[in-house]
Amino acid sequence: MRSLISLRDITVRYPLKGGGTHTVFSGLNLTIDEGEFICVVGQTGCGKSTLLRLILGSEQPSSGEVRMDGRQIQEPNRERGYVPQKCSLFPDKTVLENVAFGPIIESFRLHRLVSPAWWKTRKNIRDESSEYLRRVGLSPKDGSKYPDQLSGGMQQRVSIAQSLIMQPRILLMDEAFSALDPATRAEMQRLTRSIWQDTNTTFLFVTHNLAEAVFLGSRVILIAKENAADHSRIACDLQIPDRIRRADGYPRQDELDRVIYKLECAAVDKRPDDVLVLK
Amino acid sequence: MFRIFALPNRTMAFALSWLLFAGGIVFYLRTSHARHVDNPDDRILPTVQQLAGGFWHAATTPADDDADVAENAPAAQRFLNSMLWKDTKASGQRFLLSLVLMLPAVILGLHMGALPWIGSFFTRSILFFDKIVALSVLPILFIAFGIGQTAKIMLIVIGVAPTIILDTFNLTKSVPAEQVIKGFTLGAKDLAVTYRVMLPQIWPRILNSIRLNLKAIALFLFAGEMIASTDGLAYRIALLQRHMGMDLIVPYVLWVALLLFLVDAALRMFIRWMNPWFRET
Repeated sequence: MRSLISLRDITVRYPLKGGGTHTVFSGLNLTIDEGEFICVVGQTGCGKSTLLRLILGSEQPSSGEVRMDGRQIQEPNRERGYVPQKCSLFPDKTVLENVAFGPIIESFRLHRLVSPAWWKTRKNIRDESSEYLRRVGLSPKDGSKYPDQLSGGMQQRVSIAQSLIMQPRILLMDEAFSALDPATRAEMQRLTRSIWQDTNTTFLFVTHNLAEAVFLGSRVILIAKENAADHSRIACDLQIPDRIRRADGYPRQDELDRVIYKLECAAVDKRPDDVLVLK
Repeated sequence: MFRIFALPNRTMAFALSWLLFAGGIVFYLRTSHARHVDNPDDRILPTVQQLAGGFWHAATTPADDDADVAENAPAAQRFLNSMLWKDTKASGQRFLLSLVLMLPAVILGLHMGALPWIGSFFTRSILFFDKIVALSVLPILFIAFGIGQTAKIMLIVIGVAPTIILDTFNLTKSVPAEQVIKGFTLGAKDLAVTYRVMLPQIWPRILNSIRLNLKAIALFLFAGEMIASTDGLAYRIALLQRHMGMDLIVPYVLWVALLLFLVDAALRMFIRWMNPWFRET
């Protein structure tokens, strides 16, 4: 597979209020290939969201390089879609306007306002947005609602449609389902996985939930704090093979338990194989 | 009764909201009546008849320095030539012009909040500027701009614009970072994020802020008119004060309050109509 994003020798430091610095990463290296579904797991404060922001371009490393297709990432752009946990939709726009926002911005040029072709493009954008709404399981009548009239799950569906319509090279999701109830969460997980399979977009999904990571990801990266240092490192980088999955995509229970156990052991810095033997 | 969870029903809430009004009116009527029993020529608290007569006089009679209108002229024509209408028009024009001049203040505040370089450049000066007591610069304004329209409008702008700038700045800052980032990931650039992501969602709050500053605008307008003017509602009140014309002052004060109340209500309706998603008004 072709490499899409590479992080080379990344160090992230934040100044502390009382003086000194806090190092989140030191010498971090990571390569993301095209078409992968990467789930990043780890404890609160270990740097999962920092990693996502580095790839997004909303934060720059203290040293090192984050590159996409060999080009340095400077700021967020349409190549990298973003679905945050909350505040993901524009409250002043209807659902349909939210989804159509990106294409309208892209097509908007002041001089085109007078051309009938632009208005036709607008109509096409609305049709396309309705199609994307349908694809994430929403009906056209939801299009006229405002975000605060939707449930949390529906809002995240719209947020995904809003990002997907731009056909990003990678979709970055930051604990996108953490605030949802278990049933909606499971539904959103199935939807996200099916979108990944249908579109072949690369996904990077940050979550606390190990089972969610193993279900969704083709690769799971565990970030943990080093015992001796205050910074975090990649403690485990696991490929999740398709052979451990059932027909419905869920990993078989025994395999799921094994992988989760492996991740938990890596998190506390034990040697997983030894522990597995003990078990 | 006076408990946090003791909620009045709709009828009771409606009645309570009018109670103070009614109490105030009754108190005025009783006091005014008592004073007029003691002294039929009392000028401090005019009776209802005197107030109504005063209002009618203001609404149908031209100002002293204007040409008279025929007694049998239509009511509308008499009103349009009356001193009340003349003063309302003069003050209203200044008021509206000041409101329009709040737009550059909003745009500056928006850019200060959205673009950190602009914010760093302006914030400290505006914060300092905001602390200058506008009325204290009134003499400077009169010296610099004369006693015409410009000085009065500048007084309002100096008095209210820094507040609006800082409020818009804070509102812009309060737009969640997620939405700004999302805007960029949807292909928007700085200007599009500022005007199509940030501004639309803070716009009703900005209007609300202007709405809450209506009284401050009126206050500075009145200060300017009372000190140096030849027309306007405050000019008339100041003029009548010299003659103890309470039968005209009170209707003028109530008229000003009514106008501000109506502008406030109209702005509230406008905000709700323009922003059906906004539920804070």
